[in-house]
Amino acid sequence: MTFSKIFNASLIYSTFRTATPIIYAALCAAITQQADILNIGTEGIMLFGAFMAVAVSYLTGSWALGVLVAMFGGLCIAMVMAVSHLKFRSDICAIGMGVNMFAVAITKFLLNAWLKQSGTFADPKIIPIPKVHIKAIEKIGFLNDTFNDWTITEWFVIILIIVLWFVFYKTVWGLRIRAVGRMAQAAQTAGINVDSMKYQAIAISGLVGGLAGAHLSLGYSAMFVENMTNARGFMGVAAMYFGGAHPIITALGCFFFGFADSVGARLQAYGVPSQLVLLMPYVATIAVLAISMATKSAMEKKRKSSLITAA
Amino acid sequence: MSEKTKAALNILLSMILALGAGAVVVALQGESPVEAYAALIRGAFNGKLKFGTTLAGVTPLLLTSLAFIVAAKAGAFHCGIEGCVFLGGIVAAYIGINWTFLPGPLQLVACFIGAIIVAALWSMIPGVLRIYFNVSEVCCTILMNSVALYITNYLVSGVMSAGTSLPQSADVVPQVKLSQFMKPSSANTGLFIAIIVTILVMILVYRTTFGFKLRQIGTNPANAEFAGTDPKKMFISAMMLAGSIGGTAGAIEVLGVHGFFLNNFASGLGTNGMLAALICKNNMFVAPVISFFIAILKSGAMGMQQATNVPKSLVDTITAVFIIFACMNIIGDVKKKREIREGRA
Repeated sequence: MTFSKIFNASLIYSTFRTATPIIYAALCAAITQQADILNIGTEGIMLFGAFMAVAVSYLTGSWALGVLVAMFGGLCIAMVMAVSHLKFRSDICAIGMGVNMFAVAITKFLLNAWLKQSGTFADPKIIPIPKVHIKAIEKIGFLNDTFNDWTITEWFVIILIIVLWFVFYKTVWGLRIRAVGRMAQAAQTAGINVDSMKYQAIAISGLVGGLAGAHLSLGYSAMFVENMTNARGFMGVAAMYFGGAHPIITALGCFFFGFADSVGARLQAYGVPSQLVLLMPYVATIAVLAISMATKSAMEKKRKSSLITAA
Repeated sequence: MSEKTKAALNILLSMILALGAGAVVVALQGESPVEAYAALIRGAFNGKLKFGTTLAGVTPLLLTSLAFIVAAKAGAFHCGIEGCVFLGGIVAAYIGINWTFLPGPLQLVACFIGAIIVAALWSMIPGVLRIYFNVSEVCCTILMNSVALYITNYLVSGVMSAGTSLPQSADVVPQVKLSQFMKPSSANTGLFIAIIVTILVMILVYRTTFGFKLRQIGTNPANAEFAGTDPKKMFISAMMLAGSIGGTAGAIEVLGVHGFFLNNFASGLGTNGMLAALICKNNMFVAPVISFFIAILKSGAMGMQQATNVPKSLVDTITAVFIIFACMNIIGDVKKKREIREGRA
């Protein structure tokens, strides 16, 4: 039965696996969105992180160092955006796209000039992020299929989602950042340093974005391909819109895209053309985004009209 | 200092900074920056082939930057021009191959009209989503670029395939090909079409009621609605106009440069056009100059790679640095700070 071959227990893990890089990207976008900054540069931050992670892992043989340098690289790119947007008042979309183009170009250039490679860079010397193997559940088929051999970063994303949720909604810093995002003027009147908060949000977003890239190149795969993010950053931004920058809902949104991706990959075995499979996650993203935004605006309208009748 | 000189100085300064950064990188690689840039200029201008390639390169950039600017004038950040170029190209190729029942010139016109209609409809989708569902057009258009790429890839490796090992369509019939005037380069009469379209769109945006309304909703949608312009309708029209310009670029590329639909041919065309538009802050009259500059860099890159050891991807990095600096209001800020210091502000 083809149906049961496509929809089985391992689909849960493959959905999660394909969704993880997007979840990281979405969290990267969500952090700045809380401070009312649309992080279009997610894609670029991620791509640069992915390159740095692979390069450092290849040169030093340490995945941990690779991840750290990737996060630092993400931070640098994010700070370019922050300085340009906050200090020199550039349009955030423009500088975001600029950063994306910069990341595509610089990774390509460094790949050519520094590592003397072009196109795809895969090498046995690239040390990937290790997988967590739990001996205890090895024998239990379902649990083994679903939970065993996750990479460390895949476990970490769950922690990160919860931590970010806690930080945003349960701490003073989170309240401040949301205040800045909701109404910067009011926040300033209340004595919050708006610019400083925005810098902090972009910086943290850069760290998470770098981690997203490191996971993509060292956890999800073990190589670097030119422009390997392939609009995953933008899918993350879409997921962030879907979840209204709430970390948990945002992450849930990413599963839709991961699901579309992994079901598509399985459909390919049954003669569905590869191009149609490849475009499925993009179409799914746009469709989900449109539906969620439509429901949101409809709900808002309803709320507003009930306010008017109440008054 | 007037706003205009400030903007011009800003672009000039960014250009110098970007080229300077490039020179430093070249020097770090142990090559002479002067030699590298000289090789770049030679690679763009020296000889009929090279200059022709530059001219062929500037053609799509003129149109894609214009398309981005038209959308930007209405307040949209339209990253989806590349998708429109792809779809316009595939439609032009389809009509150019199959509609041989039309006489020559009519078929050529049909190619362009088909490309324009399909690209405009494609570009309408994010416009409608934006207006009625409040979906961010930035996100939507970027994702739609990938969708357009895969759709065309599917078509040329399936139903429209020429049967070659590369995914590409069959040749269009000779009567619809745009004539190339600087052989052996691929510079073609499409350049003049692009220039005419640019001038027409400039007139449309700055000298007609439609253009006035378009700029009105970009600057202040609330005021526009008050003054009797329908912002929703205008926004979608602007998106469609931008899409149709992108579609024209696709048709020119297919009919003029290649003569068939080559898979992934438009990769980077939309992005570079957007780059040109962003550098000059959506100024329709400066954009052609910037487009030309970018085309020189792109077509000279190969010459630079051959003459020196510098990889041609350095040029992409330089343009990216250029745009990052150009986005910032460096000049304006320095002056303002001085004014504040001297107590004049």
